[in-house]
Amino acid sequence: MDRRRMTMSGTRIRFVVGFGLALAFLTVSTGYGQLKVVTTLPDLESIAKFIGGEQVDVYSIATGFQNPHFVDPKPSYILRLARADVFVTVGLDLEIGWVPSLLNSARNAKIQKGGEGYVDASLGVPLLQIPTSASRAQGDIHVYGNPHYWLNPLNGKVIARNILDAFVRTDPDHRSIYESNLKEFNETLDARMKLWAASMLPYKGKKIIAYHNEWPYFEQCFGLQIVDFLEPKPGIPPTPSQLLKIINTMKRDRIKIIVISPYFTTESADLVARSVGGKVITLATSVGANEKIKTYFELFDHNVSQLEEAFR
Amino acid sequence: MTLLRCIGSMLLLIYWFDGTAATAQTDSTAVADSLFSLQLERSLQPEPSSIQQQSAPRSFLSVNPDISAIGDFRSAYTSIGTRPIDMYLNELEIQIASVVDPYARAEFIVSFGRDPESRELGIELEVATLTSLSLPYQLQLTLGKFKPVIGKVNVLHPHYFSFVDFPKVINNYFESEGMFMEGASASWLLPNPYDFYQELTVEVGRAGSEPNAAVAPGEDGQLLYVGHLKNFLDLGPNSTLEFGLSGVHGPNRFGSSTLLAGVDLTFKWKPLRHNVYRSFSWQSEVLYANMRLSDAEVIRTYGGFSFIEYQLERRWFVGARYDYSGFPDDPARKEQAASLLLRFQPTEFQILALQYQYSKRNYDRNMSQVVLRVIFGIGSHAAHQY
Repeated sequence: MDRRRMTMSGTRIRFVVGFGLALAFLTVSTGYGQLKVVTTLPDLESIAKFIGGEQVDVYSIATGFQNPHFVDPKPSYILRLARADVFVTVGLDLEIGWVPSLLNSARNAKIQKGGEGYVDASLGVPLLQIPTSASRAQGDIHVYGNPHYWLNPLNGKVIARNILDAFVRTDPDHRSIYESNLKEFNETLDARMKLWAASMLPYKGKKIIAYHNEWPYFEQCFGLQIVDFLEPKPGIPPTPSQLLKIINTMKRDRIKIIVISPYFTTESADLVARSVGGKVITLATSVGANEKIKTYFELFDHNVSQLEEAFR
Repeated sequence: MTLLRCIGSMLLLIYWFDGTAATAQTDSTAVADSLFSLQLERSLQPEPSSIQQQSAPRSFLSVNPDISAIGDFRSAYTSIGTRPIDMYLNELEIQIASVVDPYARAEFIVSFGRDPESRELGIELEVATLTSLSLPYQLQLTLGKFKPVIGKVNVLHPHYFSFVDFPKVINNYFESEGMFMEGASASWLLPNPYDFYQELTVEVGRAGSEPNAAVAPGEDGQLLYVGHLKNFLDLGPNSTLEFGLSGVHGPNRFGSSTLLAGVDLTFKWKPLRHNVYRSFSWQSEVLYANMRLSDAEVIRTYGGFSFIEYQLERRWFVGARYDYSGFPDDPARKEQAASLLLRFQPTEFQILALQYQYSKRNYDRNMSQVVLRVIFGIGSHAAHQY
């Protein structure tokens, strides 16, 4: 009897200790007092981490090697959003296939559109390719303009400012820290921009081909010239006639480079490159596209070095 | 500041209008600085809050709801029956949805559907819901007419389901498009120590407007109760597992009550990197019915299905399904079916599916059926469900 009582007592102690440890672990791992931030893309995550520093816990739903148009709205993301203080989205309908259903189920008024924690990172970005007419006969068009604006590093400043505004709204006590981090972010971006611009300078005006229309901001920033796309229309896979057209264009204009994103298969690009003696290079569309790209700055380090090597 | 802008603009002009040859001879650092001046120009612009007013106008900004229309055309060959070859518009659905205010969103779905017997198109309001967005304690409340959460397939509208017909158990226990109900639905994200997604849904109301085999709109205050527990686990970045339990209790057309219990299991795999090219899913559901005809007479039956679907290429999918189903009001009748599916999806707004199905029934002749279904949608882009 005594032995049984002792065993029960031991079980209770183990349960209490275990529960206490689990609670302590949860408290530590969730970062008590930090702003919980959820972003759609890792680029926004990288900038939010820089601006928020130790004051924020940031999670990106999409990975850097995933097509951001087609992310599955898994219920596990709803849990993250239900607890979030701030939600940062690229906007411009880039995530229209998955963000609305996640937000509708999040049960969190703070991060709904119009809420104090909702951040449309595109606000204030000078947009490109705003269509004058909207029809799905044109493929996957974005009626508000091309949404891949984070690929111009100069737009990183606007994104950072939008994120800072949300951090200040939801956590005004740490305003000075966020503003100081924003200043440092902008200065770092300025310094790196000088290096990227110098590296890309010899290739100003160079013509290239891209798989999908997601580089206009990068093209504008670095003075490249994207002549055509392997996709006949945005979102429509390459067709034989389109590939033939591209081959003829590349031969005529002596274009040697085809740019592709990590989430597209390379068969059609390889075929065209073989036909014209060109090469296919995979540029990163987001932070985390490969294990070396861990920050927003490294995204451009990688892309600039890839292009330099290809043009050389 | 004006001087800086002036210098920046001059350098910019020199840089952009300089020929390539001339540029190549220019000191690279100097010109890099001129490109940098572009960035400097930008950084000298007013703060983003005021830039918002100046940036290009965002087209189509309005508070109009999202509106879409989805057509479902079919061409079928059936080995028995009076119309072995048939072509018809099965359904046209009009969806309207929008946020109502900061606290709720609303959705309406009107269906122009074909009656399987008379072949005439009739109009039915399938969904009219008001759903909360900001209740505390991770609660969500839906009021109106909706599809109750019984397993995973019943909540779908037919065009969202891969196969051209709903599983036999849904057909035989409810209606060809599943069960509808009018009432209230409350769901709660359950906190749990393992921090996985667990959602409890409780629904109460009246079964859809027409009686079906298992349950019927009650009289004298008889209500339909539905409960569902959804458990969702990420097995890794590429795969997920979902396990659900369902329970239903409500009046039936014999003036008594029916108790239903269900289990659903879904495995999905999709590689993140090539998520538009490859995917695999395996989904199974079993439903058990205890239907009381009178105080002394109870019928116990069950049915279920299991299907797999594999994505071969960006636009091509294949699938196979097995169905077994009893009938809740007739323990003697049983039905089995095997289906093969080929699906071609040129874009998100058009789906062509070819399905072959062989049905074996102990109450009628066996049947072969081939159906070509074309789904086509226009209007706003509906968000996907997982």
